[in-house]
Amino acid sequence: MVLVLALGDMHIPHRAPDIPAKFKSMLVPGKIQHIICTGNLCIKEVHDYLKTLCPDLHITRGEYDEDSRYPETKTLTIGQFKLGLCHGHQVIPWGDLDSLAMLQRQLDVDILVTGHTHQFTAYKHEGGVVINPGSATGAYSSITYDVNPSFVLMDIDALRVVVYVYELIDGEVKVDKIDFKKTSTSVPAL
Amino acid sequence: MPPALLDPPLSETSLVPYLISGTISQEPVPESRLFEDLRGLRWRINLGVLPPCSSLTSIDDLRRATANSRRRYASLRGQLLVDPHITKDGSSSPPNLVMDNPLSQNPNSTWGRFFQNAELERMVDQDLSRLYPEHGFYFQTKGCQGILRRILLLWCLKHPECGYRQGMHELLAPLFYVLQDDVEHHSEVRKLHEDHFTDRFDGLFCQENDISYSFDFIKSPDLLNDEIDSHGEGVKIKSLDELDPKIQTIVLLSDAYGAEGELGIVLSEKFIEHDAYCMFEALMNGARGSVAMADFFSYSPVAGSHTGLPPVIEASAALYHLLSHVDSSLYSHLVELGVEPQYFALRWLRVLFGREFSLDNLLIIWDEIFLSDNSEMEKHVEDNADTGFRLFHSSRGRFISAIAVAMLLHIRSSLLATENPTTCLQRLLSFPEDTDIKKLIEKAKSLQTLALSSEISSSTPMLIEYNKGKSVVARSISIPCESGSPKTPNSLLPDNSYWEEKWRVVHSAEELKQDGVEKQVPSQKKRWTEKVKLSLKRTESEPSSSTIKSGKKESKASVNRSLLEDLSKKLGSEGDTEKLGCHEVGQQDDGSDDSNNYDADDRCLSKNISSENSFNSASPPNEFKDLENENISQKSSVGSNLSVDEINEISHSSPIDSPLPISDHPENNLSPAPGRNNDSTGNLATISRDIKLNKFQWLWKFGRNKGELLSEKRGRASEPVKPTNNFNNNQSNTAPSSTAGEHCSSVNFKGDSADQNVMGTLRNIGQSMLEHIQVIESAFQHERGQGASLDNNMSKNVLVGKGQVTAMSALTELRKISNLLSEM
Repeated sequence: MVLVLALGDMHIPHRAPDIPAKFKSMLVPGKIQHIICTGNLCIKEVHDYLKTLCPDLHITRGEYDEDSRYPETKTLTIGQFKLGLCHGHQVIPWGDLDSLAMLQRQLDVDILVTGHTHQFTAYKHEGGVVINPGSATGAYSSITYDVNPSFVLMDIDALRVVVYVYELIDGEVKVDKIDFKKTSTSVPAL
Repeated sequence: MPPALLDPPLSETSLVPYLISGTISQEPVPESRLFEDLRGLRWRINLGVLPPCSSLTSIDDLRRATANSRRRYASLRGQLLVDPHITKDGSSSPPNLVMDNPLSQNPNSTWGRFFQNAELERMVDQDLSRLYPEHGFYFQTKGCQGILRRILLLWCLKHPECGYRQGMHELLAPLFYVLQDDVEHHSEVRKLHEDHFTDRFDGLFCQENDISYSFDFIKSPDLLNDEIDSHGEGVKIKSLDELDPKIQTIVLLSDAYGAEGELGIVLSEKFIEHDAYCMFEALMNGARGSVAMADFFSYSPVAGSHTGLPPVIEASAALYHLLSHVDSSLYSHLVELGVEPQYFALRWLRVLFGREFSLDNLLIIWDEIFLSDNSEMEKHVEDNADTGFRLFHSSRGRFISAIAVAMLLHIRSSLLATENPTTCLQRLLSFPEDTDIKKLIEKAKSLQTLALSSEISSSTPMLIEYNKGKSVVARSISIPCESGSPKTPNSLLPDNSYWEEKWRVVHSAEELKQDGVEKQVPSQKKRWTEKVKLSLKRTESEPSSSTIKSGKKESKASVNRSLLEDLSKKLGSEGDTEKLGCHEVGQQDDGSDDSNNYDADDRCLSKNISSENSFNSASPPNEFKDLENENISQKSSVGSNLSVDEINEISHSSPIDSPLPISDHPENNLSPAPGRNNDSTGNLATISRDIKLNKFQWLWKFGRNKGELLSEKRGRASEPVKPTNNFNNNQSNTAPSSTAGEHCSSVNFKGDSADQNVMGTLRNIGQSMLEHIQVIESAFQHERGQGASLDNNMSKNVLVGKGQVTAMSALTELRKISNLLSEM
């Protein structure tokens, strides 16, 4: 019963002042075990805020991040799942499933989390999952202005992962749920 | 299926001698004999989880009750234990995700409850991880911890008003342990008597040793019938009957095909968790009784409480209340030090002494506690029954408080030796490991009946009004110990003090409880021993011993005072304040020279006495002085003046019992002699010396002739100790001299006629002296050992050695005296 929060693309303070209040009220410390952030925070204060929610914080570098020490990609293992993290501006075309699948194979992960498009998407692809949590603040992207604030909470439980999507639509929080089951783990090739 | 096997209620199985085949015995089963080896089952019955085993209950009833309780737990578990992943069947689809997502703020959502449970579990785990580390191989296993955690979690969820408090796990652990114990016992028995535990598909015992049967277990019932019918049934039944009744019980209890099937197997490993939960719940709720452990954990006063205090505070006060009646010197010592009862009683009560004893001893104690009935007593007729302590309302509560007081008395001597509250609490909180549990329980049982007395249970806490004439004060004398706990006679006298009784003996043989006297005597001796010990150490003028002594001697003096008050009442004499003033004067110019005091007193007294009646006051003082000199000369290794007096004290004190610790006088303020460092010490010492001297001389005189000195001693004894709140000032002031005078006269008059009585009394006194001597001697042995444990004061220890030498010489003299008396 591990709760993992996935979010990104806040673009604070350039494009948005803060994470919406309704989201903030839901994000209380103590419930979440890991946070993975796709990037483009952009400033250190956001990093500190996320750190208060959970000490285990993983961030990859977005193109507007002011801290250049974040890595380009990151992998971590939670439970039986391998997670991969990348901002996504490096993968061209942006948001394309096949290219992202390439990255997934490259990183050899079950769950790949990327951002940059500011749109929530979740694909089941080749025995794995590709998730885009969207923008937590609803900041405009290079592609579009019409962005709903959204983020993703993953509940990882043995071989099953339940993905809860939280979207702020017309001032109301809407929640959606997607179930993924991992096929039994194969022996990793060396 | 032979009806004889199942129908006889379980009570009969342990009543083999009374059993007439087939009929149900009417003999009530002493509960302690039921299920002697199945503690878990016994406790379940005692706690109210299972119906009490009378001749009406059968095994089937037991099984049904077991099954019901287990079902309750299972449903509770299903209800309260939350797994958010499992969606309930039949729930509306799609489930309301706004409510049911992990981040939901809604406390009623499954996730909300899940997180609340997680929080509780964390708290419980903190305690569980430290549970019984010495039995870690059992209690610290994951399985056991998981079960305990679940049980505690569910109970706390069911009772959100209590929440989880530290200590609940310690209540649960022994319950779980005994259940496991039962199951193990059962499996052992099963191994030994395999053949009786076989499945009885069709109501017949299928003998596994049966040759034709042993090959194929899946025979059809018809075939089995044919084979077994002829010989099997008769053989098996007989053999079960022949079994030890205990084994019989176990067999019957574990039958998988009885009522309720597997759920009804009373001793079942599978359902240990359920049973443990039910026991725990019964214990915490008190099963409609008066003692509910859950109350002890709550911080707010229970509804219906009379004192408005949190229950555990009230119970601790009840404990002290009982102690004050049993042993007021210890009580006053503790109160003086400022040791509030709840400092240590909180732990004792909340965990039912779980932290004070090892697990095995604890189980024995809990056996007794649970044996006591928890039903609330009917209210007493007295209208002030409502002000009683809630703890005393049930027999179980009384027993609990009795055990606590017994424990206090057990470490009495080490407590009395402490001089500040910290060390005292230290001693209280580290109860010695090697206590004899049986003795403790016996003590407690006697105190339990004491607590039952209506006055004690209904008297308001703290202040016992002497004027109300309650004989609470009088009853408190039994000190359980080597003397065996004498149940103090239910005295009709308002103040059952030593002096009064002696007076009555001399006066007439009417309603004097000779037994009462003798019983009190041994108990008083114990107290006296303490005083003697302390008096030896006192030479250093340590504040500690002085306070201790002060406590004791105050009580002594107060006893005398109370006695005299009584006498005054009886004799109906009016007091003379001036006479008392004379005494006061005599008292106050007390210095290191005690003889001065005596002289002054003598003068006073002689004045008084001569003014009242025809009494030869001239001789007594003289004789008195002579005696004193005699005694002084007899002593050899004399250090200071003080030590001489102490020796006198010892020799004089031992023959005659000390006055009793009567009521609680926590802050007895003596009229301080000016210019003395330890004011109270000095005064007390003087008074005590006076009293002791007086007593001794009384005896002496009695041996010679009449107790003319009694009056003097009375007068002296009544020397003004500033009366405490409990005592009527006027009475104390007026009592002494007049009563003394009267007494003396009466002594004179009656003494001649009641010679026989006197002799009898003397003989008794002699015997009691002998006992007392033995006590002192043993006390010195103990004293030697204890000297080391006291504050490291070298001189003190040295003095102890010296004191012992002198004490021994004093003891030899005592022996002479006693021989003298016995001759007479």
